[in-house]
Amino acid sequence: MNARPVLSHMLPVLGTGIALAAVPLFVRESGYVLRIATFLLMLATYAVGFNLLFGHTRQLFLCIGVLAGTGAYGSVLLVRNAGLNPVAAIAVAVAIATGLGAFLSYVGVRRGFGVLFVGIVTLAVSLIFQNLVLGLRKYTNGETGIVTQGLGVGLAENPVQAYYILLAVLVAALAVYQEIMGSRHGLALHALSDDEVSAELSGIDVARYKVGVAALAAGFISLVGALFADWNGFISPSLFSVGHVDIPVLIVLLLGGMRTLLGPVVGAIVFTIVDAIVRPFGQLTVLAYGVLLVALFLVFREGTVTLLQRGWEMVQSSTQRGQVGRGVAADEDGDPLSQRTNSRAKSPY
Amino acid sequence: MSIVIDGLVLGLQLALLSVGMVFVYGLGGILNLAHGEVAVAGGLIAALLLQGGRPPVVACSAGVIASGALAWFIDRTLLRPAYSRHGEERLILALILTLGTSFALDGFFTYRYPNVALTLRLPTTSVDLFGITVRTASLAVGGLALTTFGVLLGFLKSTMLGKAIRCIIQNEAGALLCGVDVDRVRTFTLFLSGLLAGLAAIAQGFFSYLGPDMGAEFTILALIVAVVGGVRSLTGTFLASLLLGLVNTTMSYWVGTYLTWIALLAVTVTTLLVRPQGLLAYWP
Amino acid sequence: MLEVRELWVGYNDVSVIRGVTLEVPAGEATAVLGPNGSGKTTLFRALVGLLRPRSGSILFEGVPLNGLRPPQVVQRGIVYVAAERELFPQLTVLENLELGAYCCPRAFQSRLELVFELFPRLAERRSQRAGTLSGGEQQMLAIARALMAQPKLLLLDEPSTGLAPLLVAELYRRLEALRREGVTILLAEQQVGAALSLCARVYVLKEGRVAFCGGASSLRGSSELRKAYLGGIGGVGG
Repeated sequence: MNARPVLSHMLPVLGTGIALAAVPLFVRESGYVLRIATFLLMLATYAVGFNLLFGHTRQLFLCIGVLAGTGAYGSVLLVRNAGLNPVAAIAVAVAIATGLGAFLSYVGVRRGFGVLFVGIVTLAVSLIFQNLVLGLRKYTNGETGIVTQGLGVGLAENPVQAYYILLAVLVAALAVYQEIMGSRHGLALHALSDDEVSAELSGIDVARYKVGVAALAAGFISLVGALFADWNGFISPSLFSVGHVDIPVLIVLLLGGMRTLLGPVVGAIVFTIVDAIVRPFGQLTVLAYGVLLVALFLVFREGTVTLLQRGWEMVQSSTQRGQVGRGVAADEDGDPLSQRTNSRAKSPY
Repeated sequence: MSIVIDGLVLGLQLALLSVGMVFVYGLGGILNLAHGEVAVAGGLIAALLLQGGRPPVVACSAGVIASGALAWFIDRTLLRPAYSRHGEERLILALILTLGTSFALDGFFTYRYPNVALTLRLPTTSVDLFGITVRTASLAVGGLALTTFGVLLGFLKSTMLGKAIRCIIQNEAGALLCGVDVDRVRTFTLFLSGLLAGLAAIAQGFFSYLGPDMGAEFTILALIVAVVGGVRSLTGTFLASLLLGLVNTTMSYWVGTYLTWIALLAVTVTTLLVRPQGLLAYWP
Repeated sequence: MLEVRELWVGYNDVSVIRGVTLEVPAGEATAVLGPNGSGKTTLFRALVGLLRPRSGSILFEGVPLNGLRPPQVVQRGIVYVAAERELFPQLTVLENLELGAYCCPRAFQSRLELVFELFPRLAERRSQRAGTLSGGEQQMLAIARALMAQPKLLLLDEPSTGLAPLLVAELYRRLEALRREGVTILLAEQQVGAALSLCARVYVLKEGRVAFCGGASSLRGSSELRKAYLGGIGGVGG
């Protein structure tokens, strides 16, 4: 009785996993393409985490790079300076980053921070992290970075194996995401992303959900960060800066579609293709990121997945009823008075 | 002693930079993350004109006006969709749009003008003032900033437009009902914030140099000041600027850049945690 | 003076005003009555350009107002006093009034004298901050601020909200004086008695439509009508 719904809602996850698992079979000759594909998996996993944070609980964490960097630097330093074995080091680093994510979220929740303040605080945390890594040159080599060869589980030496391990992490993240969204908790998250106060009044413990989601997301993000450190063979602070991690992740999520299962994957694929095209132009990539972000947020805010879904629904309804579904007309000319009284009514005091 | 003066003057420069950001936020609930890039744009144009042999005064004025024009352009194009929304949605939309804009501009500047920098040299490097040696650059920047603030305060206190700005900050709906054209006042404010940012960039040219990659740093500095001073308070912004200028100069001198940055950011985070309305906020 | 024809207004997908037609003759006071949610405030917001109507027309002195934004509507002489009052709490009474005259600063002095004559209390408190005034004084200030803009038509949205009965009576005496001075008034109220004492003409809104329109006396006279359209709300008498 129970097995069927579980299986059917996991089908998209399995399908994605199988499709992506086939990639190394096709690109075996080209190490470069496999590298890009592996990086795509990491980006997608970051985006799953960010989707939980920003998409579902409206926590604008501009410190994805810090969480990943904590995983990376944490695991590397624990092996290099404390002599831990690599697996244990990764576990400890992930635990630390999870705690950090939960702590940041908890602080935001306790202080009742809105999107803006969470954004500023986490941005400040990002900059602190950068300066900390640069300043603690004795341990981190500053901007020079650390060569991680021989400090990890050896992903750099086995690119195909690395691909599958990271794919497993991505599939796990997607499965956890889908499991949560299919459960009662998914409904709660949906409610609180809509209106926190109403959610609270219907008995949803908003604080616990937010902190829990942040911890979960931070766990996955830092795990990928730690694996990245090993796989890349080298880490430096700029690899975990806002411009290198957070902005791409934001673009990926917007590109693919917030609050969707496959948005992060689709977004990562599209982003990777665009990135491969503009990368040869050096500094222009930054320009391209910026333009992409603006353009996406202006005209494409719902993302590919939502758009495809709606297109599919329209095709279906038009074949069934012979007519095209009515588009939703957004009321653009807002009324400041009503909006303000509205928000006043919503405010928690 | 000269460190203190340098710090205060740096504070004045920070105030030039952040007042615009505070204004724009207070008026429209929009945190302009492209603010630093607007400043850099003006500085670069001034630098390019200087290279082309124009007199410094002309080049700098053109740069400042260019900053204002860029801010005006951003308001008229990119921020339109943000203004048509309200509350948190407007905030997020504007945040991400201006973040994207800042990246686009930063990428463009560093790609197109990687080696252009604005440096303004004064005929003498330092003068003796009441027994203290003061850099002429500090005097120039201090004079520039103080004059600007005098004019700004006068404008806010005594002109109808200035009063309209203050009243929109308090109650946007009320201003609308009084017949204030909120949209136009907002556009004007963005233009004004651009001019001030351009002045800050010129000030940077007096101090040392202004490069094409300094936009992000400017934005962050303005953000720190705005948070510590309170995002809706002018006096707070001013005090916070002076304080942070002093802290920055003295700490850089004694303990180095990295720790200074960490300290500044830590102050920011602490402010948000302890007193989110701004450590030094006080209205009017 | 103001003619509204077949007006439809709504938020997002919901129409709140559904085909309202009404007329406000110059120099008179007209009331729009109706329970909470009947669409009075939405109607007013559409009239001053805060909301864009779906369809229908608004004519002011024979000129269509469709598509104008609030500042332009204020310039034409329609001024709206919102139920929330929308004062500037940190500014003084005088500064609030000054902003009321934003669109016609030259008339400031003469208007100020007129307003202070009408509301002597405000003259006493001219340098006090608006946020420190009592509820009644704030309502007076809101109306006074609107008067600074030299309105031909004054839209009052539930001016009696939150005021004690004595204050309501005083407020309506001032409004009566205003009307005699020649200011046309369109008033939305829940306090039926007070509104009927001021207004010659009454529209009753129900679920976004005009359910009744006629002279105040006919509504006052007919208890049947009152029961039918206004239900249990509002004060008694008038």
